[in-house]
Amino acid sequence: MKHFYSCLVCILLACWPSLQIAAQQGQSGNAGRISGSLETNGSFFMRDSLIGAANTPQYDRQLFGANAWLNLSYSNWGFDFGMRFDVFNNSNLLNPTSSYTDQGIGMWYARRQINKLNIWAGYIYDQIGSGIIFRAFEERPLLIDNALIGLRLRYELSPNWYVRAFTGRQKQQFDTYDPVIKGAAIDGFISGDSTSRWSLAPGFGVVGRTLDDATMNNLVATLNTYPKEDLFVPKYNVYAFSLYNTLVLGPVNWYVEGAYKTEEAMNNPLGVITRDSVSTVGDKYFSETGNMVYSSLSFAGGGWGVTLEGKRTENFSFRTRPQSQLNRGLINFLPPMTRVNTYRLNARYNAATQDLGELSFQADVRYAPSRKWSFNANYSFINDLNNVKLYREVFTEVSYKYQRKWTLTGGLQIQRYNQERYEFKPLVPIVETFIPYADFLYKIDRKKSVRFEAQCMLIGEDTKADAKQDYGNWVFGLVEFNLAPHWTFSLADMYNASPGKNSPSDDSGEKLALHYPRVDVFYNTGPNRFSMSYIKQVEGVVCTGGICRLEPAFSGVRMTVNSTF
Amino acid sequence: MKKCLLYSLMAALALAFSACEEIPPVLNPNMGGNTGGPTDLENQQRQVLIEEFTGVRCVNCPAGAQAILSLRNIHGDRLIPVSIHAGFFAQPYTQSIENYATPDANAIQSYLGEPLGYPTAVVNRQQFAGEATLQVGQGSWAGYVADELTQAPRIKLAATHTYDPITRQLSGTLALHPQENITESDVRYTILLVQDHIQDYQLTPQGVNPVYDHRHVFRAALTSTSGTQIPEALNEGQVLSKNFSYTLPTNWLAENCYLVLFAHLNGDSKEVLQAIEVKVIE
Repeated sequence: MKHFYSCLVCILLACWPSLQIAAQQGQSGNAGRISGSLETNGSFFMRDSLIGAANTPQYDRQLFGANAWLNLSYSNWGFDFGMRFDVFNNSNLLNPTSSYTDQGIGMWYARRQINKLNIWAGYIYDQIGSGIIFRAFEERPLLIDNALIGLRLRYELSPNWYVRAFTGRQKQQFDTYDPVIKGAAIDGFISGDSTSRWSLAPGFGVVGRTLDDATMNNLVATLNTYPKEDLFVPKYNVYAFSLYNTLVLGPVNWYVEGAYKTEEAMNNPLGVITRDSVSTVGDKYFSETGNMVYSSLSFAGGGWGVTLEGKRTENFSFRTRPQSQLNRGLINFLPPMTRVNTYRLNARYNAATQDLGELSFQADVRYAPSRKWSFNANYSFINDLNNVKLYREVFTEVSYKYQRKWTLTGGLQIQRYNQERYEFKPLVPIVETFIPYADFLYKIDRKKSVRFEAQCMLIGEDTKADAKQDYGNWVFGLVEFNLAPHWTFSLADMYNASPGKNSPSDDSGEKLALHYPRVDVFYNTGPNRFSMSYIKQVEGVVCTGGICRLEPAFSGVRMTVNSTF
Repeated sequence: MKKCLLYSLMAALALAFSACEEIPPVLNPNMGGNTGGPTDLENQQRQVLIEEFTGVRCVNCPAGAQAILSLRNIHGDRLIPVSIHAGFFAQPYTQSIENYATPDANAIQSYLGEPLGYPTAVVNRQQFAGEATLQVGQGSWAGYVADELTQAPRIKLAATHTYDPITRQLSGTLALHPQENITESDVRYTILLVQDHIQDYQLTPQGVNPVYDHRHVFRAALTSTSGTQIPEALNEGQVLSKNFSYTLPTNWLAENCYLVLFAHLNGDSKEVLQAIEVKVIE
């Protein structure tokens, strides 16, 4: 594989002069066009064992880590070419408690449209429906890059109908997983005449995965150690089917998707294996079919915006190999049923999607009666299929805008968070939070503005531990000064006002009320953006799109450079 | 024409995905089953080293330890466990009797790579297909152990030693018997001292247990933590001997101590070629 990348780089380097000429020609009006983007960050790690920023290679000896992604794309002669150079030096993205160093071509592709046939070879990012049976995607904050390395063909049956098929293997950093993934989908669009206010966008997809011999042998060897009552014969092939449609009827938009997965081996991280009357809780394979239903109904009009969502998931873990855990080897993407919170304390507890069993609903109502006022209310409900409470959230927000001078936003968030399930912390109580918050933006003049944030998290009692739950109560404050168009300065502090059971303690066992300050400077100039931050950050769960992982505390200086060209 | 094409495509898809019949793999429940004691050198089979990384603040690690005991019950002495306290979860409690996350323990973890989560283990220091690192999750241990047990040992090991309970001096010799010409450039041997049954603090799902029974705890490396290089050629039929000695600290219960000795590669592959375990006091 590395030889292949080397060859590819050599070819691209050999072609570079002609590409440059073509690009110059493109600037003067001919066909070639080259574009790209750079995203990079570097961190200096400053050990602080008091907050838990210690005992990782970065804090103990490496002291510096960096990540970078350079995207290049070039279009000419009817082709689209792209590649991405990835750099990970002492990176803690792959594993927050470990260090990962490597670099190379993280992605390349070549695309060509030949009449109605579209050919895409290389690293493919795509999804079927909402991604329930297949989504090849990238989430850099969690270093998820589930590109499918293979071939995709798409054929336009008519202007409103097309069919696509693909096959390949999933990317694993700079290598690939061995199991083969293939799939196909047909998507369409139906509407009335030009005066009609309705349309349909139906689709059907199927995805199959075939385990390689080494993966199957490992699975069989594991099953061979199971007690007889837990044994099953695993299958090499699994298929997932999905039927979906979007109905637009005037201001109403209704999406519905149903999916079914044939029987396959999955891992239950909380499985129980009993041998000789001794029970072990942990990873345990089981074999079941899976199903999932997801629907979203939204309405927009007259100052109102209403969205209702519901989802039922049963045994819908779909990975490139059943041995893969956490965020590794995901073939599909299960849509989250909670709002994306942005304020620091509101975003502290996140509900990761539960692929083995979840019943969830969400309602989001927005109302803007005038340009001055806007209201938002959101409710999330998540249980598992045994009716165990996993997550509840009530979120309200009121915003008032006074002319163009200032805007005041405030609200309240109430959460119930099953920490035992989401963070694998056995026998801890359900975390109860009550978070009032406010945000005030004041425009001093056309170029200058100042913004204040204040949040307070009041948390429930852990009666068993005779302490506040988790880290206890928090207070957060932020002041941000914007000097358009270039500068932004920000100063924030998160203060553990009333420490809880998991807060750091001193040598005598006394819980400490610690400050977690943060200072940021951002500079924008045209397509370039620079930032430098001093950060002390408490341990927490970081999520993107419902996929979450536990992040240890951070202490240090972080710099970023982003650019597009 | 378009409809014809559409129907053809749908028929092709249906046919493609209807080919669902497959010949299933064959299960052989409770394979291994070698629960007897160590065999003599001539009949020595492949034995597998499993290095579990753990910590006294790792709430799920007792389940991992239990899983290893279950595997040990299945495979007997052919599975050699070592529990290494290292990394993020291994910071001792203020009340802990000892800190098991010694510099040597952390050095071994750095040498083998930090895990993504706990419980985690390294099986024979192999990087298996589909795994990003040597560290693998609990669900894969049984399979990889079984995989490794099916291999023939490329080298056989034997150890003789003496222990003086007065001076607590431990001295011995490791004999290496290559079963083939081993041509890898960097072959090493490592000797670890392990103590079983240490009662000390451990976070468990039921809370902090002050008398948790820690099993197979890594105590010290008698060689470098990354092994001692064997400069001599390892040719079939030859025997190489390596001496070792160590003085046990007074607070280590010699009756519960074991030596874990293994030959392994160093470099891109750190594969363990063979491992044996012997009690300090036979």
